[in-house]
Amino acid sequence: MATTTATITLSSADIQSDVLALTKQATLNKGGTTTGLEQTTGLNKIIYVSTANVLLLDSTVLGVGKAAKVYIANKSTDASEYLDIQIHDQNVGRLYAGDWMFIPWSQSDPDGNIRVKPSVATALPVEYMMIHEGATQTAAA
Amino acid sequence: MATTTAQLVITSTDLLSDTLSLSAIATLTNSGSATGVTQTTGLSRTKTESNSQYTLYHGEVASFPFASQDQAAKIYIKNLSTTAAEFITIHINSEELGRLYAGDWAFIPWSVAADTSDIKITPSVTSALTIEHMVFFES
Repeated sequence: MATTTATITLSSADIQSDVLALTKQATLNKGGTTTGLEQTTGLNKIIYVSTANVLLLDSTVLGVGKAAKVYIANKSTDASEYLDIQIHDQNVGRLYAGDWMFIPWSQSDPDGNIRVKPSVATALPVEYMMIHEGATQTAAA
Repeated sequence: MATTTAQLVITSTDLLSDTLSLSAIATLTNSGSATGVTQTTGLSRTKTESNSQYTLYHGEVASFPFASQDQAAKIYIKNLSTTAAEFITIHINSEELGRLYAGDWAFIPWSVAADTSDIKITPSVTSALTIEHMVFFES
């Protein structure tokens, strides 16, 4: 099995009167076990040149209900450019320039696709990666 | 304004044949600007003792002083359980996002839109399960 860790550090000296310095690490395991996740899409980079709502990750091709973690980052450096994130028909949130997200993804039904909608049609770079339990391929598709 | 940063580091020496060492740092700013967010719920801890669904954050103006998905907000949630089988399921409104197993955390952008964007959690167990959570949001 593989050992993969994800560490978050939240820091601020001035958002409140107590200094914020939170660091937490998670080891990415298969659902309900201490066995590490073994599959990944690898780190993808796409440069969007349209404001169309497009499919990023398709929930029908992997294991419904199995463990998966998704990383998405808006790599734009223009503060006004953002990326809307949707799961199925639900708005999740907006990633502004430089923002990233790291979420669990249940792929709870075939309609649970992750979709993105860039705010601009000029080149907007996005990076994403999924680390997942997935389905073992047993035959050629 | 405040300066708040969120850093993610993902590492693995054996997930792929090439070492994975990914780092991303975001400065949490108001929508479409370089001005830092100035409001937060603070780090909160909630203990559940039921497998009913809880509303963790209400997506309404009374709870957060902004009213549209155009405003910036980020949510941090961590499952503090140490029992591998214990998880919480996160929903936004009625859409399932995913499961946080023991020790897992999530960092989520949040588009607030009344009660159609409530953040809900459902523990997998009726025994005590503790989570930590926090929201950073725009002025």
